[in-house]
Amino acid sequence: MSQDTLTQPGVSVGSPPKQKKNKSLFAGDVRLGWLLVSPALLVVLGMVGYPFVEAIRISFTDRMVGRGPGRWVGLANYEYILGWPGFTDMVVRTVLITIAAVAIKTLVGLILATSLNMNFRGRDILRGVFMLPWILPTYIIVLVWRWIFDGQTGLLNQILMSFGLITENYPFLAKSGSAVSLLIFVMVWKGYPFYALTFLAGMQTISSELYDAAKVDGAGRLARFRYVTLPGLRQVMGVVILLSTIWTMNTLEIPMLLTGGGPSNATEVFPLLTYHLAMQNFRLGEGAALPILMLPVIGLLVLVVAGYMDREATA
Amino acid sequence: MTQFIDRIPESVFRVISAIVIFILFMLILFPLYFMVTTSFKFESEIYSQFSWFPREFTSTNYRDVVVNYRIPQYLVNTLIVAISTTSIVVVVSVLASYALTRLRFPGRAVMARGVLFVYLIPGSLMLIPMYLIIVKAGLKDTFPGLIIANMSFSVPFCTWLMMGYLRTLSHEIEEASLIDGCTRMQSLWHIVIPLSIPAIVTASIFIFNNVWNEYIFALVLAQDDKHKMISVGLANFQVSDIYRVGPMMAGSIIAMAPVVTLYILAQRHVVGGLSAGAVKG
Repeated sequence: MSQDTLTQPGVSVGSPPKQKKNKSLFAGDVRLGWLLVSPALLVVLGMVGYPFVEAIRISFTDRMVGRGPGRWVGLANYEYILGWPGFTDMVVRTVLITIAAVAIKTLVGLILATSLNMNFRGRDILRGVFMLPWILPTYIIVLVWRWIFDGQTGLLNQILMSFGLITENYPFLAKSGSAVSLLIFVMVWKGYPFYALTFLAGMQTISSELYDAAKVDGAGRLARFRYVTLPGLRQVMGVVILLSTIWTMNTLEIPMLLTGGGPSNATEVFPLLTYHLAMQNFRLGEGAALPILMLPVIGLLVLVVAGYMDREATA
Repeated sequence: MTQFIDRIPESVFRVISAIVIFILFMLILFPLYFMVTTSFKFESEIYSQFSWFPREFTSTNYRDVVVNYRIPQYLVNTLIVAISTTSIVVVVSVLASYALTRLRFPGRAVMARGVLFVYLIPGSLMLIPMYLIIVKAGLKDTFPGLIIANMSFSVPFCTWLMMGYLRTLSHEIEEASLIDGCTRMQSLWHIVIPLSIPAIVTASIFIFNNVWNEYIFALVLAQDDKHKMISVGLANFQVSDIYRVGPMMAGSIIAMAPVVTLYILAQRHVVGGLSAGAVKG
């Protein structure tokens, strides 16, 4: 697999077809084209487009679960959320946790990819094992870690106890410092293998001649990494980091099942708050308004990453 | 510092790499190892003292999960939803991706670009409106409701993946078939689809996995036992008052067995798809 398969080689979204001759072959394309696209279009418009418009509408109402359509309340939901004292904290927390998780995933992914890039026996088997966190269901991974870190019957407490390192159970998930760290830890554990494997794929497309040339020019190990490996990985890293930022920021399962937002909101990130507003407090209007408030940030990231993937494809 | 690192001999560097790999490897295996061993321990042993290995093997947890917790029912539910979603999505996406990469019609360029944007929309934005629409349509606690929700993220993804593949596929055989009098549909059926089997397999595996592993939409859309998905059934072990580790671990192993098996059988395809930036996570 080559570096540019990350965005599909030779892809040029929407660029003109390569030949314009044989016009007669393409007669009837218009009707058939729309016919073939229509099921997918129906799915996208009906199940993504319509809900999206619906979300915007609901965000201007006081709709609650099981209480009919609700009344038009204008910007009241937005004012409520923006005026809520915990809002700024929640945004800062979401951003910091996302940045920390993405940064550590990138670093560990890069280190693992560099290590795996050497030739040794059993590398393929290792690569298979390192893919496990990525293919396993997120909810199972979180359930297992949740049990390991549990304050009463948790495995980590049992282990520390049996080695005599602690004398009484430590409530890892009930202390805000350790809860936040462990949330980031589980995000990293689940996410870094994807980074490592795509980075590794990228490294393997870098020509060994470049390394040889750098050696001849007297570049040491660090210089080769800095001036050959990193520039070669720039595209792949850009796409992976941006994609992962979007998804890390929107991860609901991990905080929901690991900490439930606690202790005292220390891990209440944006998607979790949305869920709590809508599904636990039944305040659908506010639950719909919150993601729309975050939309500029998410939309910007999506635009940048889509542009990146397009540009790389046409380059 | 730079010179110091540069002077470290290659062999020392290999040792450092081996240590890094070993530590990360152990961190991967650690929870998985205890998941497996704990599933074979008696409850009393799980809650008492730490042990590396079950002092006494038991299959109680597995029997418990199967008999008392309706896990088989949830597995069947999940299988129905996963297979239906995968089949529908593959058909819809293959047709769309063929049209978007091969046919010329107004609107094509916009739609081709739009596919990527729709694929990138995070699920957290769609959760509440999707929930309301499914409820409104009377599809809460039904398989069609779950299938529709899963289709909404799978169709853009699968179409995007297939478009990428079709663009790399040579047009020459197709054009020859058209010149020889095939219709577009004949050419799609007899030439393009057989040549696209690897991509279709990759896409199917990803869709099946995503549906199988999906938790949030399954949680809000189906709460009754007849339609509950395996992810919701298992997570309930923790959420509800009966927090029982043994059955939870046994259930987890049963739940992940199909995806792990599928992955081992089709590792080649999965690695290929990985490069397509395929999975949200």
